[in-house]
Amino acid sequence: MVNPAKVLQDLRASAERKPDVVVSLGKPLIESGAVLKLDADAWLVYEQVAIAALDVGDDGLAYKCINALETKFPGSARVRRLQGMQLEAVGKLAEAGQIYKAILEEDETNVLASKRQVMLLRAMGLPSDAIAALVKYLDINYTDFEGWLQLADLYLEELMYSQAAFCMEEVLMLQPQNHIFHLKYAEILYTQDNIQLALKQYCRVVELCKDHVRGLYGIKLCASRLLKATPSKDAAATSQEDLEAMDLLATERLVVLYGAPGAAAESSKVAATKWIETQ
Amino acid sequence: MLLDPAIRDWVLIPIMIVMVLVGIVRHQVTVLLNGTPKKADLKSARETKALQRCGILRAHGVHIPEHAFHARKAYLSEAFEKGTYLKEPNAGNKPRGNVMQDPAYVETMMDGMKKNMMNIVPQTVIMGWINFFFSGFVLVRLPFPLTVRFKGMLQRGVETHDMDVSWVSSLSWYFLNLFGLQSVFTLLLGSGHAADAMRDMQAMSTMGMGNAAGPNLTPTGQPQDMHKIFLGEKENLELTEHEWGLENVETRLLVKYGKKPASVLLDQKKAKIAKASGRLATAGSASSATVAAPSSAAAAASKKKGRRQV
Repeated sequence: MVNPAKVLQDLRASAERKPDVVVSLGKPLIESGAVLKLDADAWLVYEQVAIAALDVGDDGLAYKCINALETKFPGSARVRRLQGMQLEAVGKLAEAGQIYKAILEEDETNVLASKRQVMLLRAMGLPSDAIAALVKYLDINYTDFEGWLQLADLYLEELMYSQAAFCMEEVLMLQPQNHIFHLKYAEILYTQDNIQLALKQYCRVVELCKDHVRGLYGIKLCASRLLKATPSKDAAATSQEDLEAMDLLATERLVVLYGAPGAAAESSKVAATKWIETQ
Repeated sequence: MLLDPAIRDWVLIPIMIVMVLVGIVRHQVTVLLNGTPKKADLKSARETKALQRCGILRAHGVHIPEHAFHARKAYLSEAFEKGTYLKEPNAGNKPRGNVMQDPAYVETMMDGMKKNMMNIVPQTVIMGWINFFFSGFVLVRLPFPLTVRFKGMLQRGVETHDMDVSWVSSLSWYFLNLFGLQSVFTLLLGSGHAADAMRDMQAMSTMGMGNAAGPNLTPTGQPQDMHKIFLGEKENLELTEHEWGLENVETRLLVKYGKKPASVLLDQKKAKIAKASGRLATAGSASSATVAAPSSAAAAASKKKGRRQV
């Protein structure tokens, strides 16, 4: 028998956002009142379940949690931010904005409220305002890599690729071991037509995560494009011989990966083989 | 030798109970005194984060391409030079007034004093009480034999040479309690309680050394000149050379998949070292005109100079 309180605690510690799991575990805890046996942890569970309930659209449960928190901690900024999120969930964006503004007037360093404000602007369809707010936030809270990721996304939506690349570079410095971030950076570089750099980043992805299919596709794309182009005179560029080897390696790995029994549906296997042949 | 049961009832147990109760009361008072945590200041947060940013760039710059690194380096150097990230960008050269007139500084000082007093006063009182009423009492007999070395620990305040070591004096009982009640407090008050006796010891040893200093205060309690720190950090940054981690990533990947022998990597490394040492040699000859200056600074400067000439 899994202990739901323990699972919730682990999810809190790893900051995973699995609203369905949290609600299915937390709902019985809260409705049966067993949550109160957790002492100080109870309020963390309330907060966690409230956010998860908003995520899955269980407004009743969210309301219950936030009300409980409100009675326990009246006037707390953390609870008011939850109330703001609740208003956001039902579409009352302007009122939510008022709440965040009030929190920030009391304490301008409140990270949660300033983050919500950015997302609110984004939800209102004001990307340039959201970007400005987020830039201001990141100037102060430099180490928040999720903020940089969000900013990169916003820039991508605005098709501002070099700015997005800049944000991804910051993310790479803050979280150098995550291959997903390297992949995102590589794809931005490829879109910017910086094929040589993109190839290196794709290589890094596959180096960090063996047989990463998307990374292999990237290597294949970049290598074949560079092979077709006139060889660069730049000393830092990958040598022709290496490019051929990379191209071959990516093709080989992709064929092996798709060829493994049960690895992919028949149709995608056919599509992948066709694509590799055309390159 | 026999101990009067009245000693157990009227000395041994009361000392323990008093210590537990004082610990609990102190915990509650500390919670009260701490009250609302001080609000952080947006600008000082920005100041420290800027330093952190520079540190991260220096440490993790390997993960970003050359052009990105140099753009950041140039930007941060300039910003540090100009003091863009300072709390008061224009106050750089103004002489600072008396720190004792700075209310924020006095407040942190007072806070530290209060906490220190909270820790020291109760322990002093209890110790005085025991010393006054029960000095020379023997309270407990340990049920196991001990070596003579423990005499100083277990029979403090009772200076007899030939009493067995397993007898414990009142003052030693106090010390045993002081350190032994940790887990009892954890049980009663939860972890992170403020009844910690170890903290008293620390407080006593650092008393008067301004251990309550805030983030921007030096150990001596003086607020630091952030502009100077920024300038120092700028110098560090400018001495950092960029070395890109992805320079030979293709080869590494090919080696990883067994398409190339691992010796290729080693050869590349050797070639790189040879190149670097060649560069150093030219740097040495270039700076031979410079007379000896303080060692590290001179070496760094000559390195820079050499690079420019290469």
